[in-house]
Amino acid sequence: MTTASALRMTGISKSFPGIRALSDVDLDVAAGEVHAIVGENGAGKSTLMKVLAGVYQPDKGSIELDGAVVRLADPIEARRRGIGMVYQELNLVPDLTVAENILLGSTPSRLGIVDRRALREQARAVLDELDARIHTDDLVGSLTVSQQQIVEIAKVYAARPKIVVLDEPTSSLSEHETQALFRIIGRMTSAGIAVIYISHRLREVIDVAQRVTVLRDGRLVETRTTSGITAAEMIRLMVGRDLTEVFPKREVEIGDVVLAVHGLSRADAFDDIGLTVRSGEILGLAGLVGAGRTEVARAIFGLDDADAGTIEVDGQAVRIQGPRDAVRAGIAYVPEDRKRDGIVPQLSIKDNISLSVLDRVAVGGWIRPGAERTLAQQKAAELTVSPPAIAPRVDTLSGGNQQKVVFAKWLATKPRVLILDEPTRGVDVGAKADIHTIIGELAAQGTAIILISSELPEVLAVSDRIVVLHEGRIAAELPRGAAEHDVMHAATGEVSS
Amino acid sequence: MNALASPPTRTVERGLFSTYGARLGLPAGIVATMLVGSLLSDRFLTLQNLTNVLINMSIVGIIVVGMTFVFVTRGLADLSVPATVAVGGLLVLGLQPSIGTVPAALVGVLAAGIAGAVNGWLVGYAGLNPVITTLASGTIVLGIAQVFVGGVIVYGSDPEAQAFLTGRVFGVVPVIVLIFLAIVSAGHLVLSRTVIGRWSYAVGSNPFATEASAVPVRRVRAFAFLLTGTLAGVSGVLLGVTLQTARPGIGMGYEFDAITAVVVGGVSLLGGSGTVLYAFGGLLFVQLLTNIMVLQGVATEPQGIVKGALIAGAVAIDIALRKRGGRE
Repeated sequence: MTTASALRMTGISKSFPGIRALSDVDLDVAAGEVHAIVGENGAGKSTLMKVLAGVYQPDKGSIELDGAVVRLADPIEARRRGIGMVYQELNLVPDLTVAENILLGSTPSRLGIVDRRALREQARAVLDELDARIHTDDLVGSLTVSQQQIVEIAKVYAARPKIVVLDEPTSSLSEHETQALFRIIGRMTSAGIAVIYISHRLREVIDVAQRVTVLRDGRLVETRTTSGITAAEMIRLMVGRDLTEVFPKREVEIGDVVLAVHGLSRADAFDDIGLTVRSGEILGLAGLVGAGRTEVARAIFGLDDADAGTIEVDGQAVRIQGPRDAVRAGIAYVPEDRKRDGIVPQLSIKDNISLSVLDRVAVGGWIRPGAERTLAQQKAAELTVSPPAIAPRVDTLSGGNQQKVVFAKWLATKPRVLILDEPTRGVDVGAKADIHTIIGELAAQGTAIILISSELPEVLAVSDRIVVLHEGRIAAELPRGAAEHDVMHAATGEVSS
Repeated sequence: MNALASPPTRTVERGLFSTYGARLGLPAGIVATMLVGSLLSDRFLTLQNLTNVLINMSIVGIIVVGMTFVFVTRGLADLSVPATVAVGGLLVLGLQPSIGTVPAALVGVLAAGIAGAVNGWLVGYAGLNPVITTLASGTIVLGIAQVFVGGVIVYGSDPEAQAFLTGRVFGVVPVIVLIFLAIVSAGHLVLSRTVIGRWSYAVGSNPFATEASAVPVRRVRAFAFLLTGTLAGVSGVLLGVTLQTARPGIGMGYEFDAITAVVVGGVSLLGGSGTVLYAFGGLLFVQLLTNIMVLQGVATEPQGIVKGALIAGAVAIDIALRKRGGRE
């Protein structure tokens, strides 16, 4: 492209403790261009955008806006420099009107009193520029999701940005609504705004963007024009990685069906999910962020209600209305969000490990301290929790050791079915290897395991079978040894080649 | 299991003060108060005076035990205490002539317990805000109590029961104080040693993880209010019998005295930490301070100012400790 760059990010690197999130990434976006960024979960898209938004400071690299090097110290600075972010989670106040939301940061006023007429006129002008047909006086809470999204874009647009980032803008939109969004994007680019478009929907990327940048494992794979590219090619670029990590798979004899799920559905989350897991088997549940993996797991464990469907454990139908029912049926769940659903921070390591089985170390409601200590020490040792002391508060441990404590809690219940939701996320390399050893050990003991992980190599290496979810439905079931691009085809909703 | 060694654990650094300050501050405060008291007045460090302090503590102290559970489970506070105290006091005296003191006392405690159970259901199971719920239920229950007695004072007719409660074992400790200390001990053991006690801490610390750990979170929340209602009923019965007179307003102010004691005792309003023993210590501290002020002839109004400052100070310390400890 010959057009001047509105944004040039050069050699951006960013590390977090134990993880290299971005290595030497370049991004060049021209004024008036729609530039797509694609990549698997964890490829570094969000981190790169957070660097641009001033949320993270890069360890290395420079950012130029209109040819001038800038430092984006914080989100306010980034906004002032003309960078507008539209996140997936909308930032609107439902009880205020469309006009009030659009001009929230710069409400026109006279002597501290809101000038309602100016407010309405200015908001109208912004919406007209975007060719959006939304009433300025409607309450945002009464609008549809797609209309709310347009209000959010209008809010960003009202600040006269030079660059607008749209993060998965179509994930909850219908085909028709998507077209309306594309018209608005067209309005913005013809006003000279550079649009960065992040999406898992590769067809849309080809339709709307002029160029696409592919990221993989925090590195830039390629930036190229979208003319002539196919979805299959993009997938190949997204997954073609070097194997940097080896996940040893332990060979285990697979037995009878332990968990069987039929027709499990929950409105707006997933539909007609059928799964079976056998004794000693590890079933991988793959899919992109938002495909419904965690939602399915939470419903099986009773943390969320399902609208329809049946669950059987060892051939017996079980009614699961809450985690208590699930644990009674022999199901355990290591949650995705450890901080929220995993650990109880103010309690000790011991108290966390025994939490789900207190009745087993108590007589008549009184906890027997000796029995509890023995149980906790034994489980902590099995899982190599470090340090081995069980008295410290659990929140003094590192992330990996906290995760081991969560594992220990569930192993104490002697589960028949263990659901692992991102078990190694945010965990250091040593603890990660430990956790994989534990998973292999449990499978060897005959536990039926469901593994959810956004790290595709992990799922591929460890699973005996892989079920791929796409937009809340099962898109494919793949045998062991399936290739990464097969999974990605199913996960992105593309027909397998 | 043959697993690789993990890298060294990251331990959150805590200074000596934040580790032990919270635990030693209160006992030190109590000792200091006693020293100051004995220096200021000869009458302070006498058996007679200290026994009086204990008697004064007993009624509200029983409520403090329940309020500790409410705080620990992150149930904020039970504001229906004045009503449940009144229910206990009015019922025991009102029913005394017809069914006798002991059955009347049981009915009083049971009725207050039912009010507590309703609170528990509304807060724990229906998920309503505890402050608003107990404010509303307290107003309703007090209204019912007033209808029951016709808005007038009820007088007792059993001086023997009164004599029993105020009578002294070994000529020293009044029976009512023994009942109070027994309830504090039992409450402390339940919170520190039983399953429901452990669950109470877990619910207050992180209700989401606790629910995901197959703990009946709603039942635990409800239990704290059931307990507080029941214990407030016990307080009301003891108050009614010792005074041999009860009005619908007899419980007024106990809720705030109990909250003051619990907060000064270092039990966090945000849940998950604190013990009954420390809440008892908080109560003792406040009572000793009040006693000294009374002995020094300080008027009631400045006493209120001091108590208010104590609550604010205790909350400030709690927040400061949380920040130091890196908890949130």
